[in-house]
Amino acid sequence: MFKGLKTTAVGLTTAAIMAGAAYANPYEEYAGTTLIVNFPAHPHYNAAMKVLPEFTKETGIEVEVDQLPYLKMRERQTLELAQDEGEYDLISYVVFSKADYVFADQLENLAKYFMNPKLADPNYDAGDLIDGYVENIGVAGGFKGYLPGPTGSLFGIPFGSETSVLAYRKDIFEKHGIPTPETYDQLLDAACKIPEVEPGMGGMASRAASGHQASHAFLLHLAPLGGRVFDDAWNPIINNAAGVEAANALKTIVDCGPEGAMSFGPSEAANAFATGQAAMFMDSIAFMPGFEDPERSQVVGKVGYAMHPEGVRRGSQTGGFGIGIPKNAENKEAAFLLMQWLTSKKGDLMVAMEGGNPSRFSTYQDAGLNEKYPFAATFGEALKFADPDWRPIIPVWGKINADIGTTMSKVLTEDLDIQEALDGVAERTRAVMDDAGYYTWQ
Amino acid sequence: MRTAMANRLTPYMFMAPAAIIMAIALMYPLGYMVWGSFRDWNPSQTIGEAEFVGLKNYIFLWNDPNFHESLGVTLRFAFFVVTIEMIIGVGLALLLDREIRGISVLRTMFILPMMIAPVVVGLMWRYMYHPTVGTFNRFLDSIGLPRVDWLGDYALTSVIIADIWQWTPFIFILSLAALQSLPRSALEAARIDGATGWQQIIHIKLPLMMPVLIVTALLRLIDAFKVLEVILVMTEGGPGLSTEILALRISRTATEFRELGVAAAMSNYLLILLLLLTVGMFAFNRWQEARAARLNALVEEES
Repeated sequence: MFKGLKTTAVGLTTAAIMAGAAYANPYEEYAGTTLIVNFPAHPHYNAAMKVLPEFTKETGIEVEVDQLPYLKMRERQTLELAQDEGEYDLISYVVFSKADYVFADQLENLAKYFMNPKLADPNYDAGDLIDGYVENIGVAGGFKGYLPGPTGSLFGIPFGSETSVLAYRKDIFEKHGIPTPETYDQLLDAACKIPEVEPGMGGMASRAASGHQASHAFLLHLAPLGGRVFDDAWNPIINNAAGVEAANALKTIVDCGPEGAMSFGPSEAANAFATGQAAMFMDSIAFMPGFEDPERSQVVGKVGYAMHPEGVRRGSQTGGFGIGIPKNAENKEAAFLLMQWLTSKKGDLMVAMEGGNPSRFSTYQDAGLNEKYPFAATFGEALKFADPDWRPIIPVWGKINADIGTTMSKVLTEDLDIQEALDGVAERTRAVMDDAGYYTWQ
Repeated sequence: MRTAMANRLTPYMFMAPAAIIMAIALMYPLGYMVWGSFRDWNPSQTIGEAEFVGLKNYIFLWNDPNFHESLGVTLRFAFFVVTIEMIIGVGLALLLDREIRGISVLRTMFILPMMIAPVVVGLMWRYMYHPTVGTFNRFLDSIGLPRVDWLGDYALTSVIIADIWQWTPFIFILSLAALQSLPRSALEAARIDGATGWQQIIHIKLPLMMPVLIVTALLRLIDAFKVLEVILVMTEGGPGLSTEILALRISRTATEFRELGVAAAMSNYLLILLLLLTVGMFAFNRWQEARAARLNALVEEES
């Protein structure tokens, strides 16, 4: 269905060529405007900020960046977007904010901008944007309210989006004849074999700290093992056989992981891998370039990259950030031009070459990028299986996510019975959903 | 008659503007929070747009096992940090209340931890507790003892230790000030009467310091109930809910769960709890002050 949306956008932009041709320079009308944008402190946005001077040079539009830690950014946006007139012309939003902002009618629907021949770049090629990212980060109002569907619309463009891949120690795996994990069985076997054959080294470093981190780690395994948080009628099914298997997988990984694994956040887990305390690390691609940086990594040149292993299906995560235009922005059209420029083929490649995460298939196929970042090919391949439904992006997700994370942390640290623990989550989740009105029509 | 009345009213008239401003500045936000706690309120709405739900948020919390668990963690955390900090802080003050060379440098060193930003303290202790490269486990390695999962199995103890490190100096500095303002004549008299150092501490110094110590303990207690950043950085409230104190749960409820009404109700529960503790401690303080006054009078009579 989303293909249809993208085709429509491409068609509209093509139709815009005619009227657009009347202007020699589409940016001329907006030259001299100063845009205020809100970006997170994140490697992708650090990379994006390096290319902003090029945008100003090309368009005459100035850009001021208010860069904040991403949780702080969300807090600030929550206050800012509720005003009649906001300070920001363009915002980056973390994926789980999409539901909140769209539900509160705080983000511009982008259709009218892509319909505007003065603004829409005919060469934008929206079909080249990575489907899983657009579905997860950009679209709202369709199937389940957060996925593409006949009633869905586009509210943001993925920018700084991420999927999951497996980083593993090629040298250790070769030394002990362990195959590169392509399935979950192989992954779990390797995770517990490594500590046996390499004393002092954990199998896989994973997030496991209480709250969001443990929830993220559990969901990372739930989708490929065939599970979902909800079925299509919003019944919590997190406690079915796939849920139990995913929790068992996480417990196995943590039990066979490096010391202190139960309190790891993503940085600690990445650090454990980068310092040789673990033989595998499976998480967002955003962490992977750091393993090839001699200043941050002791395993440079020893790391192999593989796709997120297959359970009953492939299903790597989708997440990270998108950019959107606040409803209360002052310079919406100029903001759209910046958004379009940053996510164009040229902009995406420029940001990627500076160390950002590509949002386009074509960027991953670029020879220059592959030469500079040898792991880019694997990332591009993994994106074909990026699962936009691995985590439900609904307004009450924050509360459910926290409950899953706390319960998983208790499973890992207090040896709770997994089935009982997940039954509890399902029951509480149903109550939250009921309270939010999800069963009104049943 | 009129002059007498005017004389009585004049001080109140002068005080009135400041009192009104203070009342508005203090009461308006408090009233806002109380009003918000009766509403199904999220950050995308103004308080006026939020639906009025009566006591729903309070009843929900009353039945919420996670809230009870957080409350239990908060009480345990506050009890241990205040008790241990009081013992160590007052002990150090008694030890360092003497005129020896370099004592001022030593006193300054002791109060350094409380000058450090809580987030930095959290980060510092988080890395010292690191399972493999942290200071504590390296030390255990060096003496051949097994490593400890500080922020896993012993998370609450670990955050209590960090808080004690940072805030014992606060007790120390106030205790030392109280100690140095004690009437020297009383201590002199006790010494002449042959009281040992220990007897002076138990029978003279501590009873006379008690009013200050109670206020000090109260201030720490209030602060311990609201500590947030250090725990957030060190454990994020985990494992499970083992270090999720109420302030952290309130913050999460407001920002992650976007339930401002529930967060406001939780804040009000915390406020009521702190008010009860404060009233209790002030009553105890009044009793101690009267006791100290009687002791003072007795000492003055004897000297």
